[in-house]
Parts: sequence; C-alpha cells; structure tokens
Amino acid sequence: MTILQIEAVRKTYPGVVALDHVDLTLEPGKIHILAGENGAGKSTLIKVLTGLVAPDEGRVLIEDGDALADRALFTKVAYVPQELSLFGSMTVAENMFMPFDRSGFGHLTVSRRAMEKAAADLIQRFGIHAKPGHLVNRISVPDQQLLQIARAACREEFRVLILDEPTSSLTANETEHLFGIIRRLRDDGCAIVFVSHKMEEIFELGDTVTVLRNGRSVGTYPMQGMTEGHLIQLMSGSSVSLEEKFQPRFAVSENDTILSAKHISGPGFSDASFTLRRGEILGFAGLVGAGRSELMQTIFGYHRATSGQCFLDGEEIPRGRTDRAVAMGMVYLSEERKHHGIFPLLSVRENISLSVLDRMKRGGIISSRRENDVVAETIRQFDVRTSSAAKKIVHLSGGNQQKAIIGRAMARRPRVLIFDEPTKGIDIGTKFQIYRIMQQLAEEGVGIILVSSEMTELQRCASRIITMYSGRITGSFDQATTDVNTLVGAIIGAPETRHVA
Amino acid sequence: MSLETTLPAAPSKPPKMPPMKALVSRLVGNPLGGVIAALVIIFGASCALSPHFLTSFNMMIIARALAFVGLVTIGQSVLMILGELDLSVGAIGGLAGVVGGILMVQLGLNPWLSLGLCLLMGAGCGLLNGALITQLRLHSLVLTIGMAGVYGGANLVATKGVAITGIPRDISFLGRGLVMGVPVPFVVLLVCLAVVAFVMFRTPVGRYIYAIGSNPDAARMLGIRVNAIRMGAFALAGFLSALAGILMVARLGTAQPSIGDTWVLAPIAAAVIGGVATTGGIGSPVGAVLGAVIIGMIEDIIVLFGISPYWQSVVSGGIVVLAISFDALARRYLNRDAA
Repeated sequence: MTILQIEAVRKTYPGVVALDHVDLTLEPGKIHILAGENGAGKSTLIKVLTGLVAPDEGRVLIEDGDALADRALFTKVAYVPQELSLFGSMTVAENMFMPFDRSGFGHLTVSRRAMEKAAADLIQRFGIHAKPGHLVNRISVPDQQLLQIARAACREEFRVLILDEPTSSLTANETEHLFGIIRRLRDDGCAIVFVSHKMEEIFELGDTVTVLRNGRSVGTYPMQGMTEGHLIQLMSGSSVSLEEKFQPRFAVSENDTILSAKHISGPGFSDASFTLRRGEILGFAGLVGAGRSELMQTIFGYHRATSGQCFLDGEEIPRGRTDRAVAMGMVYLSEERKHHGIFPLLSVRENISLSVLDRMKRGGIISSRRENDVVAETIRQFDVRTSSAAKKIVHLSGGNQQKAIIGRAMARRPRVLIFDEPTKGIDIGTKFQIYRIMQQLAEEGVGIILVSSEMTELQRCASRIITMYSGRITGSFDQATTDVNTLVGAIIGAPETRHVA
Repeated sequence: MSLETTLPAAPSKPPKMPPMKALVSRLVGNPLGGVIAALVIIFGASCALSPHFLTSFNMMIIARALAFVGLVTIGQSVLMILGELDLSVGAIGGLAGVVGGILMVQLGLNPWLSLGLCLLMGAGCGLLNGALITQLRLHSLVLTIGMAGVYGGANLVATKGVAITGIPRDISFLGRGLVMGVPVPFVVLLVCLAVVAFVMFRTPVGRYIYAIGSNPDAARMLGIRVNAIRMGAFALAGFLSALAGILMVARLGTAQPSIGDTWVLAPIAAAVIGGVATTGGIGSPVGAVLGAVIIGMIEDIIVLFGISPYWQSVVSGGIVVLAISFDALARRYLNRDAA
C-alpha cells in the first residue's frame, strides 16, 4: 500500500538538471530517509512532493490520484521547512492555527479563547515550553522548532509529514523528545519523510532510505542491514574513513599564545578567560544557548564587551570594532549563514571577493582580472558547484553557499579563525573537506577556534576543548586524555562531572 | 541573471526563444533594461506627438530643469542602495541656498568662498543625519522626517520667509551659463554622476555599499565599516543637495526659501523608476538619473500640450506604478509557459 508515489520525475533549472527521472514510494507507518550530499536534489524533490514545484516530466500520485491535475491532494502533505518561518510578534496559538478560517477558529472574528484552549493540548503533546499566549520571539529557538512541527501536524487531513533537518538547532534531549513524537505519528499510520545529515539520527529513526546523487536516485534500501560506511559510499560515490582524525600533527608550544581573552563579559556570558595558541584547534563545547557564539562574536567585535580585554599577538582588540579585528588578522564564520553570511542579492563572485577587495585594487579601482583569478581559484579549491560565478548566490544549494563563504574567509589568509558550527547542514563528504582545510591551516600556524555542538566533530578535530555552561566557562580539557562523559558532564553543568552519562 | 546562467551550461539543448521573448529576456537580464525601454518609448512618443519636443531649445529646457532634481537623485539613490532614505535632502538644499544668500549678500563674503562654505554645510547636515542614525541606531526614515523640520525651520528663521535678492553676478554663470551649448547645471550633474557611478561600480567602497544594502549584518561580520560608509553616504547626499540648492540660487538670482520643496519625493520616484529597490542592494545611480530624465520629459510634454500642471503628478505617479510593475510583469511573461 502506498500513500504517495512519484514516477520518473524530471526537473531542470537554467543550466542544471536538479532531478533526473527520480522515483519514490512512501508507505504509511514508515519513516523514509532522504539522503544525499548538498546539491544532490533533496530540496527540489521535497518541493515536488509538497507541490511547490511542478516537475517538467513524470507523475505525482497521492492516494492513487494524479496530484498534478488535482492540486488539492497536496493538502495531504505536511511540510516542516528547515528554516524557521513563524510570525515572531504573534502568539504561539495564533501561529499554530494560521490561517484562522481554515483551522476553524474564526471567519469574521477570531475566537481567541477557543484557539488558546486547543493550542494548550498541542503544546502539551509536543512538549513545547510555552503558554499559548506567549509571543513567538520570546520563546527559545528549540521551542520555535517544535512549534513549527506542531503547526504542520495539527492539520487533521495530512497523511505525509516531511521534516527537513528538524534537529539542526535542538539539543540531544530535545531531539530525543522530537523522535518520540515522530515515532508516535508513524505508528498512527502517517508516512514520514526525514532529511538529515546526522548519521546517528538516520540510523536511529529510519525504516527505509532513498539515496540521491547529482539529481539521480541511486536506489532505495531498507535501513536494516545498512552500515554507515556503505551509506556514505552510496551518497558520495567514494568512501571516506570514519576513523580519520584531523588534529594538527605538530605539537604547539605552551607559550606561543596568539589570542587571549581576559575576564571578558558581554551579552549572554560573563567572566570568560582563555588562550589560543598558534597552530592549535581549540574546541568550544556547550549546549545551544550556553553563550559560545555570543562570546566569539564579542571577541570579534560584533557585540560590545561590557568588561574585560582581548589581545591578539599582545595587541588589544578594540571593543565593538569588527573592522579592526579583521584588519588585525581575525575572521569569524557565523553559524547563521542566511543572516550573517551570504549577500543574497549579489553574485557568487561578488560574495567571495568581498573580503579581499582592499587587496585587489589598483590605484583605488578593483582589478577585475585579479578578482576573477581569486574567485576562480576559490571556487576550484573549495569545490563550489555553480554553473557560473555570475549566478546569484541564493540560487546555490545550502552546502555550496557554505563552501563559498568558507572560501571567502580563507582568501583573507587570517591568523586567527573562528568557526562557529561550520558543518551545520553539510554533507559528510564536504564536512571532511572542511576538517582537512582546518587541519592544514592549523599546521601552517593559524590559531583556530571551533565552536560545535557535535561531540564527534570536536573529538575528531580539536586538540583542546573548552566547555561552557549557562554563560560561563566550566572547564578546559585535553582531547586525547578526556572521555566523552566528562565533557558531557561539563556542558550540562553537572557538579560531579565524572558520574554523568 | 537568467541569461548568464543559461549560456555556459546545457550544451545539448540551446534555448530557443521567439524574438519577442528574447527581447523581454534581455531587458530583464540587464538591470537598466526597464528604464531604457521606457525612456525610448516615451522619447519616441513625445517626438511623434509634438513638433516642438525635439528642438534644441526644448532639449535645453529639459536638461536645465533636470539638473537640480538629478543631483539630489544621485545622493538619494546611493542611500537607497544602502537601504537608507533621507527625507531632509530638500530642506538641506533650501537651507544651503539661503545660507549662501546670507553669506554673499548680507555678510558680503566672496561668492566662491560662500559657495564652498554652503557645500560644506550641506555635507555637515548630511553627516549629522548619518551620525544620529548610526550612533543612536534610529530608523533613517523617521529621523530624517524630524531633521527635515529642523533644517526647514532654520531656513525660515533665517529668512522669515522672504527671498534674498541681489545675488552677485559672479556666480550666475553656474545657473544660467552654457558650456558648448549645454547648460552648466546639467554639466555639473553629468560630472557628479560620472564620479559617483565610478565609485559605485569600480571601487571597493561601491561594492561595500551594495553588500551593506543586501545584508548589513553579514557586512559587519566581514569587517566592513558599515557605520562609516553609512555616514559617508548621508554626507554625500547632503553635499549634492546643497550643490543643487546653490545652483538654483545662481540660476534664479535670488535665494528663495522655497527652494528644495519638491526635491524629496521626485528623486525617490526617479530612483524607483530607474530600478533602485526601496529595500536596498539593487539598482544604480545611473538608472536613477535616467528615471529622473523620464519624469523630466513627461513634465515637459505636459507643458508643451498646455495641459493643466495639476495633471503632472497624476502622470508621474502613474509612471512610477508602471515602472515597478514592468519588471514583475516581464518576469511573469517569461515564466508563463516555462513549466
């Protein structure tokens, strides 16, 4: 029995074939994983499944009806996008039941009391830490994520639920909680499509997996009997070694400090002191909201420190001056690619060259030859897949945008590099590419800070790991001699770190 | 954009387009396509409709009238590309004009020195706007509404609403003279436009302005001096408005307190017609000035036909709506049977 079936779907965009004769069959009571590298066609496939994009060729059948002819069938597909798309200054209940007339809470006037009562049930069911009347931008990001899922799930008629990387800003506990909800929906007979780059999640949750590569379906496999190595091989077409480590291979000397923070306080953290040595990858572990990003952004000058000092090579970094920090040789790569990374209206070329324009001018004028050289080199070196450098960056897939931004940061040849969740939403092949770049830079003497929520990532790359909990630094650990339990204890703020799992 | 992406890839299927579609596609692909098409159509229609339109005398009238609004448009369009707006540009222009009159007539200063001081004052007023906006993190629209009141009020305090007559003849050349048959204010406009366009297209600062308009947070994350550039752009807008104000005084021979009253909305309309996005990041001062040319031609043809001047704003408002619809309509036409 099938709920949704697509046959030989093909979709092309100018210059690219996004989907090439892809088949997919969704069955009730099954969790179907969509796997593939960035740009493999997952997003386009989801858009076809939800009816946002009409394929050039092929058929989409929902409950045996032709959905391309009868578009009302697409209401049976609920979709939770990766990016948050909520109305920030409206309440939780209002967000849940928008549009009100369709959810039955108002035709001429909105019956707020009934709506909040219904919302309270859903809030409890999905374990959201909020009241129906709370404003959405006052609740935490994980709660917003759950709200978004609850919103999709409160449509009664849906038979298919598509989740696009729903856990990217959730902690382990919240993820577990979400998985419970997903399993319950599956047991109720819903077909779930789950997109994730996190291997643990794929193996924990999946019943079947369809692997996409370069717009083609590599095949559909049962998850039973699938191994991590095999799946990665199917996705990338080549094999990577999961055991590979990326710590810099040269020992760093104790007194070769390049960056030091002394008792620095700012928004969301206080009294943080640490040092970064030349040629070291220093990991920062902590929960979402522990203050790691805020600390890094403050050191970089994006926020203004309320007290304390930071020194780069013995020279004080002025507060609140990103331009000075960059001039002194520091680069910060934000985890918020959309808000802090890309310039959506500009081309790939302009996005990349922006960080080094001051170095490619001749008599005050941008030398387009030098610009083209640098951009072409960056695109090649970081394997940015684009049909042309003149293409607007928003038309690239998320992973390729990220590679372009990393390339842009590297083009500056920084002395201190802060990576804030550089591999969020990135496929494993590209991930390892980024690790290799970090390792190489560290070996060339760059000081690197890696902020990450993935323990495996920190263990794979960092030589030393600093833990933060609730705005304070709780410890500094040597990676080689510390086990995961100790680290996890330190990031959840347990007083006796050694006894916590 | 769509053009560039179709060209290099997909060698198997070269896109075949009917000629009409190819033309529309080319116009959409070029950022100035819309405004140039509109310009050509209106110019052609005007030539056909009135025998008096394409005469050197009439062209000179258009050029001279255009120069003042055009100068303000350059500054305003740079601000709009940055994602800002300055509603006090008209008031700055008027204030610069009367201050010039006071310096030259009432204080008897050297006209050229007075002119320099006025330009400095204009840049200073713009800089003050920029400083208040960046340092107090105010919204530029709201702040400049207030500052327009301040500058406009200062103008009335200084003049009590009465024009200052007796402007020295030394500078009247700036307003009334010709260089090789072209009015001096129009030459000034072309020079300023060339300089600003060069900065916008060929220098890092210009690229930074587009970047800030596209995503100000990301620009700060890259270490771009966002606030310094913003203040500089406000100073530029103030400077150009003051320049327009002084040229107007030189042309009229009197410093009217009402100078600049119409320089607020017309440049914004011109910029929008010329493809500058009100949300920042898109467009160019060249397009904006071409937009001003369109408005100038329409105003001229209305006069030539002897239509009531009250119709002017109806027509130029309609043109704004048409211009912003053009892009959207053209895209819809291109996508109509793409699926």
